[in-house]
Order: sequence, then structure tokens, then C-alpha cells
Amino acid sequence: MKRFKGIVLVVVAMLLGATYLLPALSANAQSSASLSIVPKKNYVIEPGKSVKDTIVIRNLDSVQPLELSLRVVDFTFTDDGGTPKLMLDESAPQTTWSLRPFLTVPQNVSIPPSSSQTLNISVAIPANQGAGSYYSAIIYSSGSGTGAGNVGLSASGATLVFTSIPGKVKEDLSLKKFGAYDIAANGNTSGYMFVTDKEPQSIGYTLQNNGNVTESPVGSIKLRDMFGREQTIDNVNPSGSLALIGQTRTYTTCIKLAPQTVDFNGVKTSANSCTSPGLWPGYYHATLDLFYGQNGNNTQEITGVASFWYLPLWFIIVLAIVILALAFVVWRVVTKIRTALYGPKTKKRLHRR
Amino acid sequence: MQHRLFRFHIHLFNFRSIVPEELLALFLALFIFIVPVSADTRFETRGLYMQSSEPSATTSYTVSLQYMTPQPVGSLDMLFCIDPIPYMPCVTPPGLDVSNAALTAQTGETGFAILNKSPNHIILTRLPSMIMGGSASSYKLDNIVNPSQANQAFSIRLKSLGSIDGSGSQIDFGSVRGQVQTGTVIETQVPPMLIFCAARVVEDDCIGTDDTYYTDMGTLSAKSTLTAQSQMAVGTNATGGFAITANGSPLAAGTHTIDSPTAPTPSVPGTDQFGINLVANNEPSVGINPQGTWANAVTSPDYGVPNQYKYVSGDVVAYSPNVSLMKKFTVSYILNSSPSLHAGVYTTTITYIASGRF
Repeated sequence: MKRFKGIVLVVVAMLLGATYLLPALSANAQSSASLSIVPKKNYVIEPGKSVKDTIVIRNLDSVQPLELSLRVVDFTFTDDGGTPKLMLDESAPQTTWSLRPFLTVPQNVSIPPSSSQTLNISVAIPANQGAGSYYSAIIYSSGSGTGAGNVGLSASGATLVFTSIPGKVKEDLSLKKFGAYDIAANGNTSGYMFVTDKEPQSIGYTLQNNGNVTESPVGSIKLRDMFGREQTIDNVNPSGSLALIGQTRTYTTCIKLAPQTVDFNGVKTSANSCTSPGLWPGYYHATLDLFYGQNGNNTQEITGVASFWYLPLWFIIVLAIVILALAFVVWRVVTKIRTALYGPKTKKRLHRR
Repeated sequence: MQHRLFRFHIHLFNFRSIVPEELLALFLALFIFIVPVSADTRFETRGLYMQSSEPSATTSYTVSLQYMTPQPVGSLDMLFCIDPIPYMPCVTPPGLDVSNAALTAQTGETGFAILNKSPNHIILTRLPSMIMGGSASSYKLDNIVNPSQANQAFSIRLKSLGSIDGSGSQIDFGSVRGQVQTGTVIETQVPPMLIFCAARVVEDDCIGTDDTYYTDMGTLSAKSTLTAQSQMAVGTNATGGFAITANGSPLAAGTHTIDSPTAPTPSVPGTDQFGINLVANNEPSVGINPQGTWANAVTSPDYGVPNQYKYVSGDVVAYSPNVSLMKKFTVSYILNSSPSLHAGVYTTTITYIASGRF
């Protein structure tokens, strides 16, 4: 009997222990830090109306569940590229283009290993909201980052959400720079080129947005060499990249595209990259023709011209040899003519005063 | 010696006589010939209002424009193309159909009726009459079927002509831009996705990690550099690419902080220094260069120099300007301390955020 009581006590103790320990273990359980999200969302919503949409998040980890907390933050531009500067500080002031007051997302989500979950989100625009562009980002923070080390790691994702409210808006793009452009690679910085020994593969143009809406210009570029041969770039903004409010944005486009289809995570994806356009050395002249304008507003046009020299080292060496050879031939001809006309040249005697 | 210099000068003088200074000046003038950037905007008033911007919706378009040239106009040509440039080949926006369009309202220069229409072409006609300058004109066309692709802008190439049938030379021209957009995205294609993972060790495709999200760098010493590394893999099929930022304060124990260099700096033992980079280093030996064949994804310039370390919260450490297959980056951490560093357990959490680009 005593033995039976002992067994019962042990079992009860184990059950009580499990009751206390299991939640604790659950709270401290590792979360996955492998996720797949939608990088960008675009909406057009009239004042007084709302949109309900879904976002699919996948947990790629085959072992750990993905515990995410969601919040909406504002963002602006980092530089003249398309990288967002997320305003993560809880006390960051709301921007004038913030979508935070209108965007509703769930606060937490738990996704089992190797599964996906569809989240409901909504954007509701008040009836008195003025026309323009509004944007914020949804941050998905994983629960990782805990442990006994000095440096904790946490992986998060962000979806950029853009909403356009139609109506009369202020649109004002101005061209700041235009020309051959060297895209950064392998740690090198990018920038415009006027004289280059490397064959240009991209043309760039920099626009300043002084309006109250984001802009995505379309248009074409004509490139003409010193022999009059022309190449046309018929889509100068193939990704539909945006110039944010107040941003000076640099767009780049390939002179010649190398389209290819790649397999990304099991699906066929079209990927374009720049390839050698086969430019001859020499002087090039480029003309830019851009259009922009929101629905119901005036379509505006920007034109620009630029030029650059493509002078590879081999070309400079060949050119120098040709010039020297020509100079030598001219010198020989002049010498022969002088000799024929005036006889052999006598050396001048130098006198010191 | 001076005599030899005079002879050398004479020799040079002869050479100058066969390579004229003018030739050199011309060559230099060609080199410094810079065409400055210039910009101008044509046609101040022309635009398009689409009653509905939903893809494939049947709706009405209102085209507005201001005639600039005071000449008799007998027709107005509207050609619907993807490219707005008049001299470029016209590709009809997929799904667009204006063959059932009806002109239901007009203001300004009026008296027009539809002469011809096809799926992407409308010609308005009237008896030629002189343009009365000043106000803008508008033409409302009903029963137009919107293009079906929401991610592609399209345009209407406009030109006014003296003839009544759209033939002959144009008087004024210009294009208006439109784009269909939708409130809720209809997933007719594979939606863009961004895949990202981070841990001490990750697999190339993010399906597995070592589930370790911290690293113990050891005990601080003024004589040696503590090192550690973590990994992250990333890829996207979004045409805008991705960016990864590193966020979090430098290592701290209470109010005492180990500073981080704000510019790429070599590791200097004996100083308070916490920094990272994303390439292989040998001073100290830590890290691996980015792994993956896809060239689009690169480290940011400041975090891509071997043996140079930096850490500024919010900095972009890696990015791709367009589609990128999976690429794995290894983050190297270095930690140095000065003899005067306040004793304590120095910790931080660095959050790597992968986002799309705009």
C-alpha cells in the first residue's frame, strides 16, 4: 500500500511539474527565422472606401514554428536608390505620407514548420482624405534573438505598402543628371561617367521629385555614336521603380538587355541583366524622353540630352601610334619638300649674348 | 651642358613645326566638349482621366489637351500604344479595346465625331475650323475596355491634323499616359516573394538552419580580438530586388557601451571597437565571401572590404537591384576592448531586416 501511495505521489508530482514546466518550455522554445513574404503591395483607393486583402507568409523551416509579431512603421528613402529607410523607433514621428492610420494588420501570427498562413489586412481611407501617395511598411519580427551569447540574432522581413488616392495632385519631377552610368558591383561605388575606358552597359538619369505623389516615369532613350548609328532603349523604367516624395532618384537602364528565365524556388522567373552593347570607341550622344502623370492629371514630359566618351586603353594606344605615324610621315614629306626647294638644311650656329 | 640644352631645344622646335599646336588644341577641345544636361516640358495641358482603373474593366476615358498652333484642325488622331514616343513602333496594350468607343461629351474645340475606330486607334473628325487658343479641350469616350496588365503603363499618342480623315502632316502632337491599377491584386502570375533567413549557420535555400540565434564571443581582452560569424540567405523574384539592413545598438553593459566605427576601419586590439563586414578576412581570420552564383546580390561598399569593419544601426549591408536567386552572406563580427573598459557582460541583439525595394 505504501508502495502504491509512493507511486501515486510520484505521478502527481510529475503531472504538477509538467503543468508548470510545459508553458515555460513553450515560451522559451526557439522560433524559426526562415520566412517568405510579399515584398511590395500597391493599392488605389478612393476617399471613403476601403480595401481588404491577404498576405501569405511561409515558414521555410522544416523543424521550428515561425512566431512573428507584426507592426506598421513609416519609411522614407535611404539615398538615390530604391532602398527604404525604415523608421523603427517606436517614438518616431508620423510622416506626412504615412499609411499607419489607415492600415490594419494582425499583431501576432504563428506558422507551423514548412507551412504557410494567409493574413487578412485592410486599408481604409477616410472620406475627407486628400489625394496623393501614402506608404508605410509592415514589419514581421521573428521571435529569435534570445540566448546566452553576447550577440543575439533576429531575422525580420518587411512588406512595403503603397496606396494612391486619386484626385488632383501636385506633380513635379525635374531632371538633375543624365548620362552613361557605372552600376556598383563587388563593393565598388556607382556613378555617372563622362570619359570611360570601360564599355558602358547602362544609362542613368536622376530625377528630383518635388510633388506630393510618388512617380514612376516611362519613356525611351536614343543613343547615337559619332558615325550616326542609333540604338533605342524603349523602356527606361522596366521595374516600374518609384521616386518617393522629396527624393532625388537615380534610375538606371541597360543599353542592351540579356533576358533570361531562371528557376526561383520552383517557379520560372524572368530576370534581366545588362550585357555588352557592342559599342565602338568614340563619342556618344544620348537623348531622353520621359512621361509621367497620375490618372486624371496632366501628362508631363521631360526631355534631356547628354554625352560621353568611350575610350578603352587599347584604342588610346592605337590612336597614339597612328598619330605618331602620321606625324612622322608629315615630317618626312615636309623635310623632303624643303630639301627640294631650298637645298640641305644647315645647322644654326648658336650665339651666347 | 648648356650648349646641349640649346641643341635639345632646337630639336624640339623642329618637332613642333611638324605637329602644329592647332592640332593639339583641336584634340583637347574635343575632349572637353561637354554637352550640359538640359530639360524642357512640352504641352503644358494634356491628360487622361480613366473613370475606372481596374484591369479589363469597361469604362470611359476623358482625354484633355490644349491645341497650341492657331491653324484649322479637321481631325484628331488617338493611337493607343505601350510606348508614348511617336516614332517608336506601336505595341497595343494587352487587353485594351477601343473598337466600341463612343464620343459622349466634348468641350473646348468641339464639333468632332468618330470617323474610324479599331482596337487601338480612334480618329475624330469635323469640318476644318480655326483653333481658338486659350482654354483646354476635352473628349469623353465611353465603352473602352481597359488593358489587362496592371503593372504596365500605356499611352495615347495624340496628333491634330488639318485633314478630316487623319491623313497629311500633323499640326500638334503629344502623348498622355495611363495605367491600370487595382485595389486587390488578382494573382494571375506567380506573386513576387522575398525569401530570407538568418542564424549562426543557414542552408542556401533557407529550408534549414542550426536554430542558433546567438553567438558567445568569449571573454574580452585588451590584447586580442574576439571574433564570431553568422549567416543569412536571401533571394527574390521581385523585379525591384531586395535590401537587408542591420539594426540594433552596439554592445552594452548597463550604461557602458563599446563604440562602433562609423566608417570602414581595421581591427585595432586594445581599443573599444565592435564592427562587422560580409567578406572573408585575415586580420583577424574570420568570415567567408558571399556564396552563390547569382551576381545581382552584392554587399554594400562599406561592408564589402576585407579587414575593414564598421557598424551603424540601420545601414544596408547587402542588396540586389533586381531579381536575385538565393545568395548566402556570412557576417563577420569583431570585438576589441581597451584596458579601461568597465567590467561587465556586454550584449546586444542585431536584427537583420530584409525588405523589398521601391
